[in-house]
Amino acid sequence: MRRCVSYLMKVKRMKLASKTLFLLTVCNLLAASDIRVSGANHAEYWVFVDRRLDSLNYKEHLTEKLKLKVNYKDIMLKGVFFFWDPSIAVPGSLQYFDFTAQYRKDPVSVLYGTYYPTFGRGLVLNQFLDEDFNNDNSLFGLKADIKFFNSRLTLLTGKPRNIFFEQLSYSVKNDTTDQVRGANYEIKLPLSKKRVNIVTSFAGRYVRVNRVSDLTPQAFTELFGGNAGLTIGPWESYFEYGRQWGTYPVVGGRLKGDGFLLSTGLAIPGLGISCQYVNYDNIGFGGPGYRYNEPPTPIKSGVSVNRGIDEIGYGATVVASPFDFISLELSNNKISTHDASSGMFEEIINLDEDMDGVLEQIAKLTTHPSSNVEITTGIERMIKQGIELPIQEKIETKPYIEITCDFGLFFVDAGYEHNIVSSDTSDYYDHAVSLSIGKPEMFVLSVRYERRSRKPPDWLIPKLGEETSWPMVELSLDLTRRHNLRLRVGAEKGGLVCSGGVCRFEEPFRGVKLVLTSMF
Amino acid sequence: MRKFAFVFLIPFIFAFADEGEIIDAPDFTLEDVDGNTVCLDSLLADGPVFMSFWALWCKMCIKELDALKPYYDEFDALNMNLLAISVDKARSVPNVKPFAQSHKWKYVIVMDPDDILRDLYNVQAMPSSFIINQDKQIVFTHMGYKPGDEEVLIETMRELFNEGEKDETGE
Repeated sequence: MRRCVSYLMKVKRMKLASKTLFLLTVCNLLAASDIRVSGANHAEYWVFVDRRLDSLNYKEHLTEKLKLKVNYKDIMLKGVFFFWDPSIAVPGSLQYFDFTAQYRKDPVSVLYGTYYPTFGRGLVLNQFLDEDFNNDNSLFGLKADIKFFNSRLTLLTGKPRNIFFEQLSYSVKNDTTDQVRGANYEIKLPLSKKRVNIVTSFAGRYVRVNRVSDLTPQAFTELFGGNAGLTIGPWESYFEYGRQWGTYPVVGGRLKGDGFLLSTGLAIPGLGISCQYVNYDNIGFGGPGYRYNEPPTPIKSGVSVNRGIDEIGYGATVVASPFDFISLELSNNKISTHDASSGMFEEIINLDEDMDGVLEQIAKLTTHPSSNVEITTGIERMIKQGIELPIQEKIETKPYIEITCDFGLFFVDAGYEHNIVSSDTSDYYDHAVSLSIGKPEMFVLSVRYERRSRKPPDWLIPKLGEETSWPMVELSLDLTRRHNLRLRVGAEKGGLVCSGGVCRFEEPFRGVKLVLTSMF
Repeated sequence: MRKFAFVFLIPFIFAFADEGEIIDAPDFTLEDVDGNTVCLDSLLADGPVFMSFWALWCKMCIKELDALKPYYDEFDALNMNLLAISVDKARSVPNVKPFAQSHKWKYVIVMDPDDILRDLYNVQAMPSSFIINQDKQIVFTHMGYKPGDEEVLIETMRELFNEGEKDETGE
């Protein structure tokens, strides 16, 4: 017995000694002049009315994301602590700690931990972090890059994870046993730099996703492709192709898909033109609600139809500033499912009634009648078919105007928008007025009032609520140049919001939001 | 309540401890929209560097860069490098150069679709601006933009050159 106690004491002492040694090492490292510690923090606290709850009417929600980074010469250690704590037990809280250790000294970089790789424009692999949209698509594993002779080779392996915020809660969308392995090689060949800059670029890539838990024998998916680009002075063009060789779930057998993307643009002082054409047939790969590749959508507001499964579309944008005091933007973008009954050209341009798709048209004019006044006016029109189910067709036409006057010591911003909505279920309009007053380097106080002309139909009330007005007051305070505190009190309408082809339905909100953003 | 206090106190502990502290600027090598390599060390060999992080979807970022446009020539003449770092994702890359040119921006437009630079400089809000002196120190950091904020940026950049002149004349 005595022997046992003395052994336990010894173990305790050894543990204490090792902890002390570790702390001393950390302190020593921190004291070294080459060490740099930096970071950022984002904290949010919400108190709001939850229509879905019968007994407890108010709900709280606390989110904290702390990023800390330590740099020592060519080594970087980064830790991200995330913590979400809602006031009700279901779905419960979510917390995680991500870390990344990286050695980077040109031309080599080796990384272990959480990272976000994108090959080309994302037809083959696109794992990204969209913090503004709360969409975290990461890989955890090993990545190595090497640069040589105008080229770069990337090799990676990792386990994917997608944390997504929807219906007022965070969830892990793809908690799978999938393993992603990939290689990407890019080369840039400058042909001339004398009179006109001429550059060509080529790339080739391969990704393999092994699905350990799939019931299908030998269940794996291969994605491969490449791209070619040419830049001649102000004109540039880019073509990317991706191909998928997959396995049909459970039944087995080869699932084939492909996709391509073509973009071209002209950029001269005062004029910018960009055009894009996309055609995807079973290139989008992932699971329900998530993708390992995220083929780009030409729609500026971020809407896609089915994220690379069956899509064809184009985008054309012209931005011109013929004079310094005026800027004009015109944009026409479309994406839809393929329509085999139409001709190729018709399929690209038209949005047939029977097809799921989105047509977006934007006209925007910005003028500066004097040096301290800016007026922005425009009209946005969007037709959505089969996007906001059960609404089959929805047409939104939104004219708007915004005037900003800068008086030096303070500024005033006033805006009005009128959204005329016509759908197969109901016709109505939303109109909103906003007024902001602010002082440079100090604060902005904003008031917004939005109103809908009628209640939604009864069958939509559980989703949209029966409110017809949304007043809101927001104070944004610059505590210092690196710290901002925002307090928002009031109501938000909610609805479908999208970013980069990923959409979610945002619940109507009525309550208080407190947001603190810092970098240090 | 304890969690709430913890979450909102963390940044303040870091915040006011380092306010005004001069930090070394992390190195970077990226490409501009024309495919040229942009490296911090070679930029600093010419003069100080101003960097503003922006994106096509960020209305305030565009307002800030438009507001600074009339001052570009003044600082370019003093060999200051003015960089506009686009953090647009790969899907939006083809629209960046046409947009920047249509606004007649003369800044060096650097592409950061993988958030390498955004991560290095801990950019948490858009826009965020940094001024780096020739000793490779971040002498000014600014988060967000409101009309009128550009005056502070301009003043800081002018002060940087005035201090440089004083150092040279030994005043």
